[in-house]
Amino acid sequence: MIECKKLSKKYRSHSALSNLNCTIQENTITGVIGRNGAGKTTFMKLIAGYLKKTSGELHVMEENPFTSLKVSANSIFIDDQMSLPTSLNLKELLNSFARFYPNWNEPLANELMTYFQLPQKAYMQNLSKGMRSTFQAIIGFAARCPLTIYDEPTTGMDAAVRKDFYRALLKDYLAFPRTILLSSHHLEEIENLLENVLIIHDQKAFMHLSVSELKESVVAVKGEKAAVNEFASMHNKLSINESFPGMAMAVVQVNNYIRRENFPHLTFSNLTANEAFIYLTDSREGGIDRVFERSELD
Amino acid sequence: MKFYEESDLPIYIQVAEWLENEILRGQFEPDDKIYSQYQLADLFTINPATAGKGLTILFDHDILYKKRGLGMFVTPHARSVILSKRKNEKLTLLVNGIVDEAERLEVPFDELIDMLKSAKMKTQGRDKND
Repeated sequence: MIECKKLSKKYRSHSALSNLNCTIQENTITGVIGRNGAGKTTFMKLIAGYLKKTSGELHVMEENPFTSLKVSANSIFIDDQMSLPTSLNLKELLNSFARFYPNWNEPLANELMTYFQLPQKAYMQNLSKGMRSTFQAIIGFAARCPLTIYDEPTTGMDAAVRKDFYRALLKDYLAFPRTILLSSHHLEEIENLLENVLIIHDQKAFMHLSVSELKESVVAVKGEKAAVNEFASMHNKLSINESFPGMAMAVVQVNNYIRRENFPHLTFSNLTANEAFIYLTDSREGGIDRVFERSELD
Repeated sequence: MKFYEESDLPIYIQVAEWLENEILRGQFEPDDKIYSQYQLADLFTINPATAGKGLTILFDHDILYKKRGLGMFVTPHARSVILSKRKNEKLTLLVNGIVDEAERLEVPFDELIDMLKSAKMKTQGRDKND
């Protein structure tokens, strides 16, 4: 469905993505995860054809999305900056979307509007942040586009609405399988929905794997300082904490399965997918604690 | 830093275990059709590919079999496979725990064997008295 080779995007002299490689299969739900400013939105806007790439290759449905009518007609990009005409009320907006998208499911749109208590006669600019996000999510469901891209769809939604949104997303996907890209800062909320996670870090596709593979790729280990250090030196050490006398805790990235029984002096624990992601993408040595330690020295 | 417990199993393994429990509970008899990956996805709000992975584990363990185009069905010996698998896992875990504890308490291995033997004798003695 989507293929990127050495995809790069620069805004004037500022580089947002550089040499990104990835392939996204048809009819999968992929979570696009990254720290603030990592390039998630740029990546998704390139795929939707909103931005023009600077260099590299990008094929969506075997075409260049920036100039493709096919991609435009078969994809929808949902974010909180969707520019919708302020002179139309919600019902009129839905009607105009219905004219553009051939798979538009009007009964579903109406049912969802009633369920989420969105008044048909209201105007976008009078809705709260959460209600606006909900309305945009409804458009994403009802459009039933073969390629549906949600950039931070749950901004402003309360916990109950978010839960309903995730459930609706999955149910609609089961009824009408399609390729979905979903970015979020709440990996723990969406991880079960995803088939794959695409981690964008340092302007690149840093990792592309399943949620369980992400969890298994990072392990926390506790024990005597020497034993922990020896173990950490054999793997990619992400973080180490030696604040307990004689003891140490380390978080390491592992490439293959660790036979835990071979290290009887160490205690292993698993991290959540979100914690694994944070450790993997933390380039700042020592984390926030180190900043305070440094500032106290001055 | 926060540590999570070992029981934090991947979702697909949890799905497989849940299905095993359903079979043990008698919810599914041999040759019954089991839930499809889509039904499981809907039940637990998980990606259908993850649910499919759970079904594949059971297929690999000979607990389910496939009928082309019809879905997955429970094998006639599913119950006994699950029971023996669970017993083995549980026992292995207990034995590992005993060996670990013995090392921590500096109990020599021979002494541990003697302890196991005397434990066995006790249960045999109890059986005779019954």
